[in-house]
Amino acid sequence: MEKLTNAVAARFASPTRSTRLTVVLGRWLGLSFTICFLTGLFSHGLQEPPSWMFFPTSPVWIYQLTQGIHVTTGIAAIPLLLAKLWSVYPELLKWPPVKSLAHALERASIALFIASSLLQLTTGLINTYKWYPWPFPFRQTHFWLAWVIWGSLLLHIAVKLPLIIEHWRARSRTRPRAASGAGSPGQVIDDGVAVAGPGRWSRRAFLAAVGTTAGVVVLTTVGQSFSWLDPLNLFAPRKMGTGPQAVPVNRTAADAKVADLAGAKDWTLTVSHQGTARPLPLSELQALPQYEHELPIACVEGWSQTATWRGVRIRDLVAAVGAPSSSSLRVTSLEPEGAYRTMDMPAAYVQDERTLVALELNGQALDLDHGYPARIIAPGRPGVLQTKWLHTVEVL
Amino acid sequence: MKPVMPATVVEPAGAGKAVRIWRIVLGVAGVALLGYGLLGLPTQLGPPQLLGLLVWLAVAVLLHDGVIVPVSTLTGAGLTRLGSGLRPASAAVLRGALMTGVVVTVIAGILLKAQSVARNTSALEGDYAAHLLWFWAVLAGLAAVLVYGIERAGPGRGEREQKTRP
Repeated sequence: MEKLTNAVAARFASPTRSTRLTVVLGRWLGLSFTICFLTGLFSHGLQEPPSWMFFPTSPVWIYQLTQGIHVTTGIAAIPLLLAKLWSVYPELLKWPPVKSLAHALERASIALFIASSLLQLTTGLINTYKWYPWPFPFRQTHFWLAWVIWGSLLLHIAVKLPLIIEHWRARSRTRPRAASGAGSPGQVIDDGVAVAGPGRWSRRAFLAAVGTTAGVVVLTTVGQSFSWLDPLNLFAPRKMGTGPQAVPVNRTAADAKVADLAGAKDWTLTVSHQGTARPLPLSELQALPQYEHELPIACVEGWSQTATWRGVRIRDLVAAVGAPSSSSLRVTSLEPEGAYRTMDMPAAYVQDERTLVALELNGQALDLDHGYPARIIAPGRPGVLQTKWLHTVEVL
Repeated sequence: MKPVMPATVVEPAGAGKAVRIWRIVLGVAGVALLGYGLLGLPTQLGPPQLLGLLVWLAVAVLLHDGVIVPVSTLTGAGLTRLGSGLRPASAAVLRGALMTGVVVTVIAGILLKAQSVARNTSALEGDYAAHLLWFWAVLAGLAAVLVYGIERAGPGRGEREQKTRP
């Protein structure tokens, strides 16, 4: 069996593979996973805040930035992960597969790390296309797998730390990974400059190609998050300036089954506080002082679009029912069902003068798909919490 | 960490006390976070969903180890033959262009599949097939220009040194 696995490993051997290559790719991948993990936790914290959560409202584009980085870094990690796994592929074919209990645990943790990472990046990408072909809930699975992956990453670094330290700097040329017995992974053989064989490529050329690939997938998708790169947006699911009133829509009125309720002539927004309720028809909302702000709508799927919103300050409505501006709110949509039918708004957003019950978008009354007759727009919040088709605002 | 690296090191460096402490800290933290994630999954996923997740995890690994790496290895072997008459820099440009093109094509392919089942009118509106064709045209053009330029130029420093060696 050992001969067979060695023969197969020899077929997969490449002079480009080396421990140094794996360490360099591991650094890039570790950084990208860490960025994804931290920005993902921030997004999760905004949506399901723990008691200690902070809610930054300035700069107004903070969530656009963090979530744009989250999705873009995840896309960049796809070629990095494939290259990293390619660099260690012969390890898979080593015989015997298990030498001891500790070795078995290490291999099991690596298998979990690889499987979780492949699935996380793939489902994360497909989620941005709003396509869900898997039999498990995306958001919850994405969250818990992120902990599994980052924990596995730390464990993997702990196991490999001596090799990582040894090959952190490029000083020596390492022998290629192969199970032929000619050299073990990480064995240093000379200090020469890596020279590619005929038709092959050197380690540096391989790394340059991986870096270029990551750069290309970033450049051709990041325009959905950052407007200055919009002209290069070839392969992102969203394009700036599309959708009604030149702003994309995630959930349409038809999807939410609100068209009749939102279009009703007797629609009112009810603001309530300590048992008293104040119904505000659209005409009354329009008669209140109106404020206009440039705010981005930034989606968890990474796309964002800055637009001009006009409407009533939420803190004015809170004051109108005699509640302090330090209150937090529960906002309910006309939607009959859905995970985001009700939304809790912490006091940080209520106090911010840029948080609006928006009635207009880009100089026109809201389109039905953008939340007509009234919707929430607040600085620095995920798009799913910018509740559309408002029904009630309750001071908590 | 002392930068000691003699010409024929076999044992890995990094066996000092500080490294041992770091390994313990990272290992314990890693196991704790990993365990938190694994224990958290069943709090929000039911048994059928967990089973589905396990199947998808297994398929991801099988697809990668059983298809993606073997196919890329075969392709690499083909490129080694194809590029053996070229300068190393030209061969690297060919391989790099192919790597970039394939990864972008896989991403665009998933995008096209998603587009075919999309329900939302303001998402996935691009003509991704046309974009992909344009992308390949530009990529092939760039690679051709680079290879032509490299082949027309004189041999690089490394190649000259190689050729003058006995």
